[in-house]
Amino acid sequence: MTTIEQTSRRRRESRERERRASSGRGKRKINFSLLNIGKGLDVPFVLLIFVLLAIGITMMFSASYPVAFYENNDSYYYLKKQLLFAAIGLAVMLAVSFVDYHYYHRFAAIILAISYVALILVLILPAQAGGVHRWIGMGSFGIQASEISKFAIVLFMAHWGSRYYDRMGTLKYGVLPGAAVLVSTAALLILEPHYSCIVIIALLTVIMMFVSGIKIKWLAVAAIGLAAVILLLWVTGLLTYAMERLDGWGQALNEDLDRDMWNATYQTRNSLYAIGSGGLFGLGLGQSRQKYLYLPEPQNDFIFAIVCEELGLVGAVVILLIFALLVWRGIIISLRARDRFGKLLGIGLTSHIGLQVILNILVITDWLPNTGISLPFFSYGGSSLLTLMFEMGVILSVSRTSNIEKS
Amino acid sequence: MGANQRLRTRTVWLLIIILALGFGAVITRLGFLQLVQGEELQRRAIEQQLSDTPISAKRGTIYDSHGNILAQSASVWRVVMAPAYFDEGADGDAQRAFVASRLAAILSLDEKELLEDTKQNIYYVSVKRKIESEEKEQIIELQKEIYEKYGKSGLISLLDDYKRYYPYNDLASSVIGFTGSEDQGLWGIEYQYEDYLGGTPGRIVSAQNGISTEMPFDFNQNIGAIDGSSLVLTIDKTVQGIVEKYMKQAVIDNQVHERGVCIVMDVNNGEILAMASVNGFNLNDPYTITQEQQDEINAIDNEYLIAHKKTEDPSLLSKTERDKLIAEAKSEAESAALARNWRNKAISDTYYPGSVFKMITLSMALQEGVVDANSRFTCTGAYQLYEDTIHCHNTSGHGTQTYQECLWNSCNPGFIQIGQLVGKQKFWEYYQAFGFSDKTGIDLPGESGDQFFIHDGVEGNMLDTDLAVASFGQNFSITPIQMITAASAVANGGYLVQPHVVKQILDADGNVVKNVSTDVKRQVISDEVSKEMCGIMEENCISGSGANGYVAGYRVGGKTGTSEKLIDVNGDGSDDYIASFCGFAPANNPQYAALVFFDAPLGGSYYGSAVAAPVFSEIMSEVLPYLEVVAQYTDEELLNIDSAAGSYTGMSLEDAMNAVQADGFTPLVKGEGPTVVTQNPVAGAVVPSGGTVVLYTEKTDTPEMVTVPDFSGMGVSDCNYVAAGYGLNLSVTGMIGSAESTAIGQSIAEGEQVPAGTVITVTFGGGGIND
Repeated sequence: MTTIEQTSRRRRESRERERRASSGRGKRKINFSLLNIGKGLDVPFVLLIFVLLAIGITMMFSASYPVAFYENNDSYYYLKKQLLFAAIGLAVMLAVSFVDYHYYHRFAAIILAISYVALILVLILPAQAGGVHRWIGMGSFGIQASEISKFAIVLFMAHWGSRYYDRMGTLKYGVLPGAAVLVSTAALLILEPHYSCIVIIALLTVIMMFVSGIKIKWLAVAAIGLAAVILLLWVTGLLTYAMERLDGWGQALNEDLDRDMWNATYQTRNSLYAIGSGGLFGLGLGQSRQKYLYLPEPQNDFIFAIVCEELGLVGAVVILLIFALLVWRGIIISLRARDRFGKLLGIGLTSHIGLQVILNILVITDWLPNTGISLPFFSYGGSSLLTLMFEMGVILSVSRTSNIEKS
Repeated sequence: MGANQRLRTRTVWLLIIILALGFGAVITRLGFLQLVQGEELQRRAIEQQLSDTPISAKRGTIYDSHGNILAQSASVWRVVMAPAYFDEGADGDAQRAFVASRLAAILSLDEKELLEDTKQNIYYVSVKRKIESEEKEQIIELQKEIYEKYGKSGLISLLDDYKRYYPYNDLASSVIGFTGSEDQGLWGIEYQYEDYLGGTPGRIVSAQNGISTEMPFDFNQNIGAIDGSSLVLTIDKTVQGIVEKYMKQAVIDNQVHERGVCIVMDVNNGEILAMASVNGFNLNDPYTITQEQQDEINAIDNEYLIAHKKTEDPSLLSKTERDKLIAEAKSEAESAALARNWRNKAISDTYYPGSVFKMITLSMALQEGVVDANSRFTCTGAYQLYEDTIHCHNTSGHGTQTYQECLWNSCNPGFIQIGQLVGKQKFWEYYQAFGFSDKTGIDLPGESGDQFFIHDGVEGNMLDTDLAVASFGQNFSITPIQMITAASAVANGGYLVQPHVVKQILDADGNVVKNVSTDVKRQVISDEVSKEMCGIMEENCISGSGANGYVAGYRVGGKTGTSEKLIDVNGDGSDDYIASFCGFAPANNPQYAALVFFDAPLGGSYYGSAVAAPVFSEIMSEVLPYLEVVAQYTDEELLNIDSAAGSYTGMSLEDAMNAVQADGFTPLVKGEGPTVVTQNPVAGAVVPSGGTVVLYTEKTDTPEMVTVPDFSGMGVSDCNYVAAGYGLNLSVTGMIGSAESTAIGQSIAEGEQVPAGTVITVTFGGGGIND
């Protein structure tokens, strides 16, 4: 566990070490150990990733085996694939951690351009189930265009924020580029549609602007504007209408729903049933009942509902604490990064993990519309896991240069 | 602040926001769902995870006091549907349409409603209950068809169900009541004892997955149905049968417009042995009205609309409007006819008790000691009270009478004076004490309360004129059950007992769950007063106004009553009346009371003495022997006593004639043969003492036939003479003690051909007293 005391102790020690290191520059030892290449990987962060991945795969297996059995006649169908993805993912993470993140600095604009291409391409491609345009397929392997967007925006904002760090206080450099990227991406996502992703992207953009140092008043202006729009919608009754239209958002437990709406909220309702069934200590690992074809696709976005049902509130909170530790550690790594670009990139990617967890759970608990946010390390899916491990690799790459103790 | 420092500060804020706000919100939300809402969510989860199939409980049986079955449930089936198993989309729509149309055809249900049912996303819809085996076979065929066509099973299922049968059809119909389509009691005992009879439906609960096949974890619970308890009634099927037989006949004979009521009650423990509202309805078919009622409804036309103020002038309306009004009127009339058939008049009707109430007034006076042997009451045929003149039925007056004579004469002015001696306050107190101010609380639905005098908003606050008419039972309304309960108190030593119709409750295995014991509410009058009243009322049935209620061989006490109805039931412009008689037997040790009540007899006579008393006599003369009440004949009656004829067939003629004489009968020989071949009456038949036994000595194809004469208007001795002349045996019943008695009814109608020696029962009634 990392406590404040330990952190402050480490801070003191690292300051001391830096002082010593700066005095002996040029005499650095070259380490061949895997974890100590460059300045080495951050071991706590790696351990947290392993722990989450282990728990995640276990729970994914538990949640998926009835579905796998009924659909594929093979209870291990999803487990086998996920294990493979995890192995590839770990390899990708390690490989990426060796790549000097400064390369991305150069390609930030290009990657952002690619993300726009992907978002447009996905609209042209035929729709998936439910009439949404989200996936770009490559054979049996597909990737959500929005996954690229999220990384691209974080990268672009880190790039911009570090390059024009001295001009971030201005409207022209601090606010407008981020706002332009956000609005254009959000417009394309509305067409998909993929509302929850808009929420993530908006939050990520704002976070990046905030830490990059824009004036708080712009955020206040944005907040007031948003509040005004919501108020207007609320007064005109459009908000309720919108909430209802958004797949029965907030209506999951309403027993008077008509059949259409009943079907639309079916997944969320069964998610709530599962969560509620868990109680404080849960039904026990593997004992979920809702995974028996009640909760559709329990291995995907709604996996945490099954976790809640089997492990109860206690299990859920423990897992959330591990996620919190990961975020904490990610932020620590980022703050100790050697340069501003690394810091911003690390903060952005770490924030992404945290937001993804929070929004996923808000979706499964019916506080956000049910629109496809996966739970990192838990949800089944090759592309999302690989994207995630890639981002972890980038953070680890930052950690190599980060000024923290590597054990 | 430098750019780096700002970044560091802002990042720490960001971290705090994500961890505290984000994770905090998430954990709070989970905690709320899992701890606060957990129970409800889990219940709903389990609801869908478990398939829950109800099992009907078998409804309890209703027995009469001797264990005869009055109501019983038999196995039938219930059709249920699980519409959640229908597919989505066009396939599902086709399946729904198919199933709905087939079910509608087989079960004669509305296809549209069925189609709506199939659209529900639930696992249990009850389609139809109580289908018989023929429909059940068709449903099984349909199940196969659905499986072959769509590969689906479990869409339609059959469950056990029960149907109610009533072996005696209309016997005690308004008491027993009937059940509805969901096997729930709707009326009578079926309704009143629903909680006992209904039982507890069971359920089969098993775990299922989202596509309704079995779950790998083990959960299967079978909560068996608990069959309903059975009831043993105080109603005696035989007594009820006797009562209804005579009541039905009397309703026809007296052209009773608004049905008749008879209650037979054990005066000591409040058990109701019979309670009839005649005519009733067929319990197996409670929604069918009589042909007569149907004819009346069919006859509804424009004039009816005018008469019932549905419209001023039907010719002003369009044809559709008129038809609509007529259809409405017909439907209203049908509902009214059903309600009328079902109505338990014995407890639901209120009426002016009339002169029957005089026994209560006199009991009050005796208990209060306001009358004694020296008291005299003068009747001049009318009584002047302030501006009102109250007439006696005997307009020439009864002269000066003792209080006993007041009752025997059923003298209104006499009772006005007795009532005045009792006083308004005491009268009201006794009225309450006799239980008239409260419902009796009999265990049947639909009991009405009384309507007594109210002045200045105070109930029981009587004016002088109120007391005057109340003392002979007018201008306040009570129910028949209240009257007989109070009369029982007069007879049984003064104890007001709780009338009831259920004696025992048995569980499904026949073990006694509950015994209903006698519940004495209070003692209203003393034993001495009760004894004196019994004596006065016994005398009333011998020589007084109640003489038509006399039952040969039994010491009965009783009182007649005739009261005006407030409405003109047949609209002929003349007043309609209620004729009633309330009595008990034996007078020296009362056991059973009976109240006979005819609502609006239109057959000429409407007096209680003429209409109700003879029926009381007929009923009691058959009921009392059945109930093994020991007969106590007077010397005079012993001459008329009936005994059973012996078997004389096969004897030589001489032996047979000796045997017949030894048995107290007169032999009459037909034919020339040496031995008796056949006899009439047959062996064991009851023949009046001194009656004729015809002995046939030759085989003849047909016994000698005689034509029944008309006995009406004859005295007892004349009847005996005429009957002997025709070779008929005469059995007498009714009022035979009085010299004025004349025959008022005969068991075999005039002009019928019967074999010689047949016993014919002639009922006698007295003439002079109209009450």
